[in-house]
Amino acid sequence: MSVSYKSIQWNRQKIIYDLLLVATIALYLYLFVWSTQWFGGADVERGLRAIWIRAYGSAAFILLHVILSIGPLTRLSPKFYPLLFNRRHMGVVMFLLGVQHARGTLAWYHDFGNLDPIVSLLTGNLNFGFIPFPFELLGIGGLLILGLMAITSHDFWLHNLTAPVWKALHMCVYLAYSLLVGHVFLGALQTNKHPFLTIAVGIGLVWIVGVHFWAARKEAGCDRQTFLINTEGFADIGSISEIPENRAKVVTLAGERIAVFKYDGKISAISNVCQHQNGPLGEGKILDGCITCPWHGYQYRPEDGASPPPFTEKVPTFAVRLQGDRIFLSATPNLPGTPVEPAVIA
Amino acid sequence: MTTNNPQPQDEFYVNYLPMPRSWSAFLLKFLPLLIAGVLIFAYILPTVHDQYNKGGFSKRTDYLGYLVANPVPHLIVPRPGNTEAGADYSYYLLAAGNKAGPPKKVMEQAGNWVTLTGLPIARNNLTLLAAFKAETAEAPEGFDLDLKGKSLGEFTVEGEIVDPKCYNGVMKPGRTKTHRGCAIRCISGGIPPTLVSHNAQGDTIYFVLSDLEDQAVNDRVLNIVGDPLRITGEVVQFGDTFVLKADPETYEVI
Repeated sequence: MSVSYKSIQWNRQKIIYDLLLVATIALYLYLFVWSTQWFGGADVERGLRAIWIRAYGSAAFILLHVILSIGPLTRLSPKFYPLLFNRRHMGVVMFLLGVQHARGTLAWYHDFGNLDPIVSLLTGNLNFGFIPFPFELLGIGGLLILGLMAITSHDFWLHNLTAPVWKALHMCVYLAYSLLVGHVFLGALQTNKHPFLTIAVGIGLVWIVGVHFWAARKEAGCDRQTFLINTEGFADIGSISEIPENRAKVVTLAGERIAVFKYDGKISAISNVCQHQNGPLGEGKILDGCITCPWHGYQYRPEDGASPPPFTEKVPTFAVRLQGDRIFLSATPNLPGTPVEPAVIA
Repeated sequence: MTTNNPQPQDEFYVNYLPMPRSWSAFLLKFLPLLIAGVLIFAYILPTVHDQYNKGGFSKRTDYLGYLVANPVPHLIVPRPGNTEAGADYSYYLLAAGNKAGPPKKVMEQAGNWVTLTGLPIARNNLTLLAAFKAETAEAPEGFDLDLKGKSLGEFTVEGEIVDPKCYNGVMKPGRTKTHRGCAIRCISGGIPPTLVSHNAQGDTIYFVLSDLEDQAVNDRVLNIVGDPLRITGEVVQFGDTFVLKADPETYEVI
């Protein structure tokens, strides 16, 4: 977290993450071109320009699958969290690979002709039947969305667009993925009929849909159980002993997920949704007296849901009462940052 | 409903803290597998792409030939030596160095014998010359110029329209859907549209396309380039080259 905007706040783990990412992509591109020449020999296109187009495009498409898998995988196991915190760099790199793919395509297939390359790209194929459909348009659509996401990936935009707008914009990655699957299906798979390619794209699609469904099913379980809310607006959500020290139990009351933390002989409750990128605060931990989000380390005081100065993020708080070992939680949220007296464990 | 503490060992990580040992142990197994999987794709994907063929181009050469404008720009080049076993001339399609038909200055010489400087781009028995210049030349002695060809009758053939410059080897594969945009550009620019067909034995046969009035069909086939087609028409043989004469309105997408 930071109170001022810096282009990138480097730390050791971010550097390792990025080095690993860049090295893998460089190795992928090199191996792709090498493999093409190794197997093709003299039968490969001179200049290798189309080979690079395929290398960039396939690298971007594979990376998109990795990026889309990280979110649901963290819902299934927290051990994937270290892949998530720098995911936006992965997204920007994927966009740049897509740009290289598009630049190569524009120059190689649409330049040196009787039309401006961009006009040629947009108007060359006007057959909008299913299989003849101009797959290039689907690729352009996907790339524009990924570009918008890459441009707004910095926290500056998250803050200025507000978290809900930013999140909605970045959920468009699924629209981009759909467009790009169409781009590959109506493009590369129509030229390259080898079953390996079709099967690989199919498995990728089934995996992305399946892992999201799997994670959603697990999340839905959290929301299914209902609690009886008494006349004072409080619900018995369980016993103190269920919550480990400095950790939380997440419950859903009146449609809102609430993280109930136990720490220093006290119980406090705040919204489960981090103000940064809507991370699950209830899977966080209290460090240095603050609830710490597992996604990017944003922190909030359990007593008032506010980030410690000079930070300014705030989340709603909830009143908590104890009766013996039982925790009673108010279903009514207080305004973000409202101080609430913690329930003290006797 | 509740979610109990998701980390029974109370392991926790954010990027400014040390990673729990069991998490780093997990990632040390998972990441190499993920990276290896990605790199396996880099190795295998090129082998299953349609991007290898024997087509290609060599170096600029001067050709003595008779320059013809219709139905498509081409050069009739006498073959030297004993040609009793085959045709005594080659039928070379013509284009420019870019995605266009041969330069205007070259085609102004149509109907003449010329020395044409061009880059040969060949695949199987189909050759296209990227023409750069042409100068009037003396007709070779003893060569019987054949401008009418030999009609082989009416045939129905199935195949795909390509631009023979890319298909022949400038691009690989230079055909089908991914190349469609480029082929449209080439054919609209004046490169002779050619039908690539395969017979029952798997042999590849090429048909230069013409309409019934011996005119080029370029502008009338742009919307079906790269599509599987069925064309019925008269096949006329020029040397080793076949010209398929049919009204483009009768081309069927199959």
